[in-house]
Amino acid sequence: MKLEGAIDCDVHCAPASIDALLPYMDDYWRDYVANAGMTLSPTLTGTYPEAVSPASPSDVDALREQVLDPWGLQCAVLTCASAFDISRNAYYETALCKAINDWLRSEWLERDERLRASMVVPTLDPEAAITEIERVGGDPRFVSVLLPIRVDARWGTKRFHPLHEAIARHDLVLALHAWGRIGAAPTASGATHTYFEDYLANSQSIAQGQVMSLVAEGVFERVPDLRVVLLECGFAWLPPMLWRFDKDWKAVWREVPWLKAKPSEYVQRHFRFATTPAQLPSNRDRTAQLAAMLGAEELLVFASDHPHRHGDGNLEVLLDVLGDAGRDAVMRGNAEALYRLVG
Amino acid sequence: MSSMPETAAAAERPEAERRVKLVDADIHPAPLPRHLAPRLDEPWRSRFERYGVRVPNPPQLYPRVRNTGYRVDSWPEGGFPGSDFDLLRAQLLEEHSVDYGVLIPLHGHSFGAEAPEYAAALCHAVNEWVREEMLDRDERLRTSINVPLETPELAVREIERYAGDPRFVQVLLPSGAEYPLGNRKYWPVYRTAAEAGLPLIAHTGGFEQHRGAGWPSYYLEAHVFYANAMIALATSLIAEGVFQELPGLQVVLVEAGISWAGPLMWAMDSAWSAMRDDVAHLDREPSELFREQFWFTTQPIEEPDDPQQLVQALEFTGMTDRIMFASDYPHWDFDSPAMTLPRAVPKKLRAKILAGNACRLYGLG
Repeated sequence: MKLEGAIDCDVHCAPASIDALLPYMDDYWRDYVANAGMTLSPTLTGTYPEAVSPASPSDVDALREQVLDPWGLQCAVLTCASAFDISRNAYYETALCKAINDWLRSEWLERDERLRASMVVPTLDPEAAITEIERVGGDPRFVSVLLPIRVDARWGTKRFHPLHEAIARHDLVLALHAWGRIGAAPTASGATHTYFEDYLANSQSIAQGQVMSLVAEGVFERVPDLRVVLLECGFAWLPPMLWRFDKDWKAVWREVPWLKAKPSEYVQRHFRFATTPAQLPSNRDRTAQLAAMLGAEELLVFASDHPHRHGDGNLEVLLDVLGDAGRDAVMRGNAEALYRLVG
Repeated sequence: MSSMPETAAAAERPEAERRVKLVDADIHPAPLPRHLAPRLDEPWRSRFERYGVRVPNPPQLYPRVRNTGYRVDSWPEGGFPGSDFDLLRAQLLEEHSVDYGVLIPLHGHSFGAEAPEYAAALCHAVNEWVREEMLDRDERLRTSINVPLETPELAVREIERYAGDPRFVQVLLPSGAEYPLGNRKYWPVYRTAAEAGLPLIAHTGGFEQHRGAGWPSYYLEAHVFYANAMIALATSLIAEGVFQELPGLQVVLVEAGISWAGPLMWAMDSAWSAMRDDVAHLDREPSELFREQFWFTTQPIEEPDDPQQLVQALEFTGMTDRIMFASDYPHWDFDSPAMTLPRAVPKKLRAKILAGNACRLYGLG
């Protein structure tokens, strides 16, 4: 795949251990980390087992060597999923997020001009999340706010509306990323026995539930400037979901009187989807049909999800179907507009 | 399935020669408490009358903000939509010239998770009411066996009671059980069904736990998510190796849409290519397995602005021989057989969906 000049919306980095974050924590939390034996699990508690996920680069030299230089990227947006800690102490989650943001700024953003980052914020305490957005949101190199799709409550619910307002107020993008609080079972009837099934739940149900929630709860009427990108959640599932969503809305619109347009219009206006994992058919005709259903050349933004492996998703077939202009939009232009990287 | 070879041959006859023009694969009869109580032995009758049941009905979580969830004309005098056979016959079987109708009494979703012996008694009462008040009164009807699913040995007993009655054509599962439905706990139920040549039918409903990101707030979200609950169910059956154990087992996915299945199969195959050693019992592409084991019903079928895209999405599944018309009578979103399928659906495919596919699965005609 030709990557020269591309914007990569999801490149992972992770501190080699929690020791790397200690300089960015105060005495209380350094003591807490020592006494509780807090660590940063290299697999994120099983989220990224070694079998499918080599360790993420832990310093900028490694990233330059693995990604930035050989690929010739114009820009990469860093995702530090180490913030997806599953312990239940909301104050620790906030301290961890602050430390990661300061680590991202000092050790990544200041060392390579090609880098941008998603800031991380706590999931358990929306007020603290807003405070953190206000603390670091003035730095234009933080272009988005990273939140996991697996959480206690869907992101569209009312308690999070002030958080979405804060994201939009700082001209940031809401970046919803696969995985998160994996202690909670991913199905309506409990935990899974295989990674395969757990992994598929991200794209095939949980991410979809988040899109439904943000739209149905009227977030985009309340926060008309909010832009959302789904990272590592797939996208081929979107057309059938929207067909159901539009159809149901036409019938039960009374329940959500704040919606002024059909659900698919909100999605087209406010959402973009990362290209990895692609999860596409190998058949070119079918891919062309799917691309038309999706409006792929406007909807998709390139993301490598380095260093995670998802199997063969046939993205190249889709890019080929889109032609030169469509390919350029997906590889670069759409992300420029999404993150407002130009002008 | 024992009756497959003969009926498969029947399905290949030209459509015009075939007698069966319309099969409705999702009709909801609804026995009332006064129908069930006399069919319960003590102590269950007293318990039913004094304590009722403990598992909530889905509308208690998500009130249906559309005609209270039922066709406005489907309320019989002094009854409940689906409780009166004469009305059901007139509004559905007669009005739409249904050749065969497959009943799906949904009480099993909640009854099946009650205390073991109580659950068994309740499910049996439903099955008996359906047999006496519906099946015995109209030979066009077939039904789904309600089982006390969470107590598999009792569920097995209930299946065995009806396996000899050809009108009981399948075994009901909820889309949300106490465990993911691929769990080995349920395998004795599946084995008994497979050995009796009965498909499983998974109908939307049952438990609705946290599901990784919390509860929907509205019926709108919950209803759109029906498909995702069914996706989780199908993925669980595949991931846990149910079909390696019971290759003949067939599973009908009801009231969850269809168009998601193509993208699901692509995602499964892609994941499998990266992590097949995590599911070492899966000896071939998950999509191949999916196409051999699952069936769909139409209602509520997806409605893209461009109907041609629906046809494409159905073709993505590679399973157009496994899609069956369903009306969902008497629910608010009832689909009329005349209106369900857009004109873009080619004639031959339309005939298969309206009758041929169901004839093959259920040995009708």
